[in-house]
Amino acid sequence: MSSEQFIQGIIGGLAIGCIYSLIALGITIIIRATEILHFAQGELMMIGAMAGLSAMWMVDLPFIVVLLVGMIGGGVAAVTIELSIYRTLRTLRVPLINIIISTLGVSLILQNAARLIWGSEPLRYPPLFHTRGVDIAGFAISPQLIWIVVLGFVMMAALQLFFRYTRLGIAMQAAAQDAEAAQLMGISVKKTTTYTFVVAGVMAGAAGVLLGSLFFASFNMGFLTGIKAFVAATLGGLGSLTGAMVGGIAFGLIETFSGVLISTAYKDAVGMIVLIVILLLAPSGIFIRAGRRV
Amino acid sequence: MQSTTIRTLVLLLFVAAPFIQTNTYWQHVFGVALIGAILALGLQLLVGMAGLLSLGQGAFYGIGAYVSAVLTAHFGVPFSLAFLAAGVVAAISSLLLVPIVKLPSSSLAVATLGFNIIIYLFMLNEEWATGGSYGMLNVPLPSIFGFELTTERDLYFLILAVTAIVYFSLDRLAHSRFGRALKAISQDEDAARACGISIIRYKSKCFLVAAFTAGIAGSLYAHHARYLNPNDFTFNKSIEILIMVVVGGLGSLPGAVIGAIIIVLMPEFLRSSGEWRLILFGALVVVLMGVSRGGIAGLVPMLLRFLPWFRSTSDPKAVESVEVRR
Repeated sequence: MSSEQFIQGIIGGLAIGCIYSLIALGITIIIRATEILHFAQGELMMIGAMAGLSAMWMVDLPFIVVLLVGMIGGGVAAVTIELSIYRTLRTLRVPLINIIISTLGVSLILQNAARLIWGSEPLRYPPLFHTRGVDIAGFAISPQLIWIVVLGFVMMAALQLFFRYTRLGIAMQAAAQDAEAAQLMGISVKKTTTYTFVVAGVMAGAAGVLLGSLFFASFNMGFLTGIKAFVAATLGGLGSLTGAMVGGIAFGLIETFSGVLISTAYKDAVGMIVLIVILLLAPSGIFIRAGRRV
Repeated sequence: MQSTTIRTLVLLLFVAAPFIQTNTYWQHVFGVALIGAILALGLQLLVGMAGLLSLGQGAFYGIGAYVSAVLTAHFGVPFSLAFLAAGVVAAISSLLLVPIVKLPSSSLAVATLGFNIIIYLFMLNEEWATGGSYGMLNVPLPSIFGFELTTERDLYFLILAVTAIVYFSLDRLAHSRFGRALKAISQDEDAARACGISIIRYKSKCFLVAAFTAGIAGSLYAHHARYLNPNDFTFNKSIEILIMVVVGGLGSLPGAVIGAIIIVLMPEFLRSSGEWRLILFGALVVVLMGVSRGGIAGLVPMLLRFLPWFRSTSDPKAVESVEVRR
């Protein structure tokens, strides 16, 4: 492996890793707040990608606006599902496994609704930046990748700040840790749960625009990516924010480098083997807080 | 009504099905539904009885299918031996999962899903064994004790016989010491351990039995469809099996069969709705999850309560649903 390949692998792995992290963060905060394994998270990402693309078809928008539209699209889709389906199911007091299966149903609905609306062909994202390569230590690197890494990190930092310093963020954390105690402190757990879905949808929508700009947007781009993000979240420890971020980036790097070093055919398998080995060594994942088993 | 009477009637109904519906396409679909039922019965043991959320059954199904197909097509092994080998190889490969059975439920789900992806990639890329993405054509028709099973109806009866055997074996298992131990584990792991139940051993045995069941279902699929493609054994298959089990009703063996039949037949009935087919299917899954705690199996007694002549006899001790522990 030449050093040029190495640098490109690092940047490419970081970029795809950031996208996994953004999706994994959504999965994680949903698990913390509701214990739901949200299998439709990848579809929220796809909705974000499609929303951004549709906005760009209508008017020629700068990338940041497209990203915002994608985030709004993901957030709106997430809150719609939460209010219409998951909240109803929770009110009916069905067992958790029923809600988890319903997320698979939601995933099917979103995928096929998207196929009706946007067709089944992969859609090309127009180039978002000037495509001239950027020089890093003498190597040409696609600016696309660098932007994805930068934006990904900015969004993750913003989420951390949101959870640490805003009233709503702290309330959401409290409700996730102990719903009853939070309720006694005057926090509306119903409301924080809904906001959890909004935040998860916004992150997924952002990931969708970033991933779309890297490859294509298509109705079925979400499911496998969502599953991989699940694996990434589990790698870091289901239920830990740091775990989701580090897990996502680690998974992106593992995937990219095993594609280069081992074989492209088995690059997904390497990630899974790493996951199983890590789960054997640390059954709750790497970054799980002691005492909490999700 | 006595449960044995009901069972006999249902079995008779299944036997009569290919005589009532003589269209071979539908007979084929019935066969597919019963293979789904075998898969769902196996997963019911894991999820419904032991509370182990596994998303890896598709892998064992695929292993069984390819073992059976390769043995009969390339090595001339008779079907009955290949059928057993399919189950045994799938069961042995489930031993790979023994180290991860102690994981908490949600991690176990993701880890078994990862296992399924690894096996799928193996089936896709090892062309010398599986034919890769071109698939495997012309899997031979099964023959048992010299009888060649050639028509769709013959194949249907073979599958029905296996389904019945699997059903009654699992029913016996559920009411044995083993089944009670699983129930104890799914309700309170710590209490079960305190009663002297070896958690890891029981969970591993569960995986072993479920993998064997999926393996023989795979063998039947191979000789029923007669064409194998790795895409039939992705994690989507595992998820589909899980949907069957939950739609049918967690913890209920009849529920697993009903769930499988519904999930296989529903797309056939929705076919006329064209592009809306899968959206409707997804919506139905969501609605079914909401209307009843125990899936269809929980819905039936609920509906029967409205019928006066059932009110006195409807069985309240129907297997209660078991929540998957976190």
